[in-house]
Amino acid sequence: MNTIESRSTQRKLVDGMQINGEVNLNKGGKSPQGQQGINTKVLKQGLCTGCAACVDLCPSTEYYKDNIILLHECDLVRGRCYDYCPRTPTDFEALRRALFDPRDMIPELGAFKGLYMTRAADKAVRTGAQHGGTVTALVQLALGEGLIDEAVLSDHDEQFLSTAQAVVDGDGVFGSAGSKFVVSPTVSAFTRSSQINPGKIGVVATPCQALALAKMKVNPALEDEIRMEKLGLVIGLFCGWALDWRRLQNLLQEKVGDTWIAGIDILPSKHACMEVYTEDKTIKVPIQEVTTCVRENCSYCFDMTCEFSDISVGSARSSEGWDVDKGWNQVIVRTALGEKLIARAREKGVLEFKEIQDTNIEKLKKASVGKKRACLLNLAKKTGSRDDLVYIDPEDPVVQYIRTLSSMQQLN
Amino acid sequence: MSSILLENKKGFEALLMGNDAISRGALEAGVSVVTGYPGTPSSEIVEQLAKVAHARNLYVEWSVNEKVAMEVAAAGSYARLRSMCVMKQVGVNVAADSLLHIAEYGIRGAMVLVSCEDPGALSSTNEGDSRPYAKMMEFPLLEPGDFQEAKDMAKWAFELSEDIRSIIMLRSVTRLSHASGNVTMGELPVVSPGARFECSGTPMDQMIGPILAFPTLIDSQRRRQLEKLSKAAAAFEKSPFNTYTGPEKPELLIIASSACQLYVREALSILDLWSRVGLLKLGTTWPLPQKLLGKHLSINERVLIVEEGTPFLEDNIKVLAAENAKQVGIKTFFGRKDGTLPPVNELNPDLLINGINHILGTTYQPVSDAYSSKAKRITAVGAPDRELTFCPGCPHRASFWLIHDVFKLDNRSGFLCGDIGCYSLGAAPCGFSTIKILQAMGSGTGMASGFGKLDQFGMEQPVMAVCGDSTFFHAVMPALVNAVHNQSDMILTVLDNSGTAMTGFQPHPGTPVGATGISLPMVDIEKLCRAMGIQVEVSDPFDLKGTRKIMLDLLENGGSPRVLILKQPCALSPGKKGEKKFEMSIDETLCLADQCGCNRFCTRVFKCPGLIWNTEKKITQIDEVLCVGCGVCADICPTGAIIAGEAR
Repeated sequence: MNTIESRSTQRKLVDGMQINGEVNLNKGGKSPQGQQGINTKVLKQGLCTGCAACVDLCPSTEYYKDNIILLHECDLVRGRCYDYCPRTPTDFEALRRALFDPRDMIPELGAFKGLYMTRAADKAVRTGAQHGGTVTALVQLALGEGLIDEAVLSDHDEQFLSTAQAVVDGDGVFGSAGSKFVVSPTVSAFTRSSQINPGKIGVVATPCQALALAKMKVNPALEDEIRMEKLGLVIGLFCGWALDWRRLQNLLQEKVGDTWIAGIDILPSKHACMEVYTEDKTIKVPIQEVTTCVRENCSYCFDMTCEFSDISVGSARSSEGWDVDKGWNQVIVRTALGEKLIARAREKGVLEFKEIQDTNIEKLKKASVGKKRACLLNLAKKTGSRDDLVYIDPEDPVVQYIRTLSSMQQLN
Repeated sequence: MSSILLENKKGFEALLMGNDAISRGALEAGVSVVTGYPGTPSSEIVEQLAKVAHARNLYVEWSVNEKVAMEVAAAGSYARLRSMCVMKQVGVNVAADSLLHIAEYGIRGAMVLVSCEDPGALSSTNEGDSRPYAKMMEFPLLEPGDFQEAKDMAKWAFELSEDIRSIIMLRSVTRLSHASGNVTMGELPVVSPGARFECSGTPMDQMIGPILAFPTLIDSQRRRQLEKLSKAAAAFEKSPFNTYTGPEKPELLIIASSACQLYVREALSILDLWSRVGLLKLGTTWPLPQKLLGKHLSINERVLIVEEGTPFLEDNIKVLAAENAKQVGIKTFFGRKDGTLPPVNELNPDLLINGINHILGTTYQPVSDAYSSKAKRITAVGAPDRELTFCPGCPHRASFWLIHDVFKLDNRSGFLCGDIGCYSLGAAPCGFSTIKILQAMGSGTGMASGFGKLDQFGMEQPVMAVCGDSTFFHAVMPALVNAVHNQSDMILTVLDNSGTAMTGFQPHPGTPVGATGISLPMVDIEKLCRAMGIQVEVSDPFDLKGTRKIMLDLLENGGSPRVLILKQPCALSPGKKGEKKFEMSIDETLCLADQCGCNRFCTRVFKCPGLIWNTEKKITQIDEVLCVGCGVCADICPTGAIIAGEAR
């Protein structure tokens, strides 16, 4: 890692436009850039995840209704927006080394200290949640235990537009429970909150949001050193894709018109549909129609299990099938802090644990590899070159591993 | 009210602006009714006459637009009063429909149309030339060549108008209207008019019949009109406003009108060519004095025609030369068409010198090559960047900031149709380059009404129009009615700054005063729009947060026209009395300056001239002299470093 002094020197060098090889924090020979880079290399390329890591750092960039908007041009040759974006060139290996114990690394799943199947012990929490309510229970626990002073969570409005805000008590957490299908501007909520509040902040993050937070944590700009010390916990969410809000709006409009919608849910893959719940009925929308609403950037995502978190949570997918584990979560513990949290949860009885089959991890690995492989193929297709993976270094060991796996499978 | 225009000593000499000279001429002619719509360079004429309205028993009004101004003035004429209608060249287009009918029918009391034009479009959206209207619509045209003539010809225009019973156009240009020169005054007459509209005669009787533009009457009206034109031509043959200066048989004849004749005189003096070149200065430019021109054409082989605007004189003199080719012989013409003079923009003595050099082979360089190359070199690096901008505290800056932001946030490539006023600068960086279409008055709303109907062809961009309060009444109302009736998906944002700000706060129907300062009822834009059945929101552009929300909601709830009225008086408005609402200051510890997180956001992007970048301290600073304390910049600063404190 760079020291504060060296970083500040580098920033000065960049400001003086004396960019040289040493200044480059990102592997792959790509120089640091500012807002123009965000515009041309991320937004215009359909790579923006909507994580909002570039928002609330300056008045020129805003999040509005599922879009990142560059309101005014900034001509700085280097900006934090570009540095923190999860889709600008990233040295993944450096991040892994800085944040995790190298002995825990599994190429398919990232840092791995254990896999659990859990659900919230509190039935009320489970009812409010989409699956087992583990995230809600863990956030409440972390707040209750003083591990964090506030938590940045996402919620959505009546039109399923995701919002993000910091909450300080368990009741607030409860209100945010349930799956979201549209990405929320979570990182900007962290940025805002860490600007004002002195305490430790926990963040419930999707893989892209967690990656942005990891980049900020490992390589903060001088002005963000104090802010990043406040990042106390990252609870990751497994994520396959997110929906584009405007397209989802259009789809819902098409299906139910102006009728009030109580909720939506996407059922496990064998059902191949999304359910839309109105006051008096349930409308099934075929999954093929839903997938047309998926954000373009999701096909360039390398991470399904939210590898840059302390602990990550998803719905359970056991080899015996969906229904067996319905209402349970799978949890990957990645750091010592994650371990501590899950241990406290067991101790306090806020989570119920279920015995987990060995086949579960294999199934999870397979799904994760599938996502990674698709990402590499899509990126290579986009750039027209296997050696240009936009934000991922082709030399990255995990990339190499996935490619080796693929070629072996082809041989078989 | 004391005004030099009221000085009633015959032979009194005063330094008068061209526009004041025209006003004085009208007073000496005994004008009673004066109307107009403000527009540079014409505005001072109505303003000055409004000041003496009481003393001279005039009726003076700022009309809602030029067409109505023309009609109100015509009413004066038809009631046997002397009337004058004043506008800039752009306005003549607005008035044209009425003008054609008034020209065709003729007038009763004298009626003079004063068109002050803007060659080079120094403060216009076009370089229009109204002179062709005189030919097209068949009425006489006068072009004063200096300040004394401006006064004398204005007076004479009324006399000629009444003699031949036709409307007369008096055309001035910026350099005449806005420059000053010595003028010797005549007497102010005692006017005791009795206004009465006679309609007891037959429609064929111009003076006492009903005034009807009926198809069956047009033949006789046209014939009558052509007779008037012949009478004017006869008068022009012996007009003292057409003069010749120069040798009996010059090597080159220059024919010039208006301010151009001054440029010619200067050029000939500099070149010392008065012994070789003759100047025929024309003050009466339509119909052309054929005999006078024929005489001069026949003794000159080479003719240079000098005029600003279109090649109006040039084309018509060429026609004349062709018609009289047997008598005058074959000529070589020089002018704007053959490139001797540049085809567009204002002329000046230097351009004239270059043109004369081209014809006569003289070599005088108005600006030496060494000087011009040095000037070019130095200005490229040394001249400070002074782009057009809004005044400090201008409400338009806040309005365009908001419109720019909401279009960006909305993210559907929405665009803004502009209109005519200070806010036309919304197309420039000071208005965040928000306006994407800018043409005539009222066009913004008319075009937005059109764009808002293109959804059936796949148009998904939201469209907004802006207009000022004066422009709203001038030409936007019909366009808005069109949008309502046709249910166009558009937004009209009225930038209501309580006056016709760009031209100097002339009142308009939305203000509670008239041209002469009398109290008048104001027409309420909001009520008007509501009466049209439009959704109307009203907000203060200085309330950035509140107005942004309203704008975003309006943008999203499309389908039919919506109106947003942004009310905030002009920063220079007399109503604000220069009082500061806030005392602005900078907390230097909070200013992010040029770091990532700001990058001089306030001085680089928002760019109010009241904010300055201290190059030594590398921090933003308030320019206490320029800042008017509107407080808007406090809301755009991301760290709260700009503080809006209580005004002292």
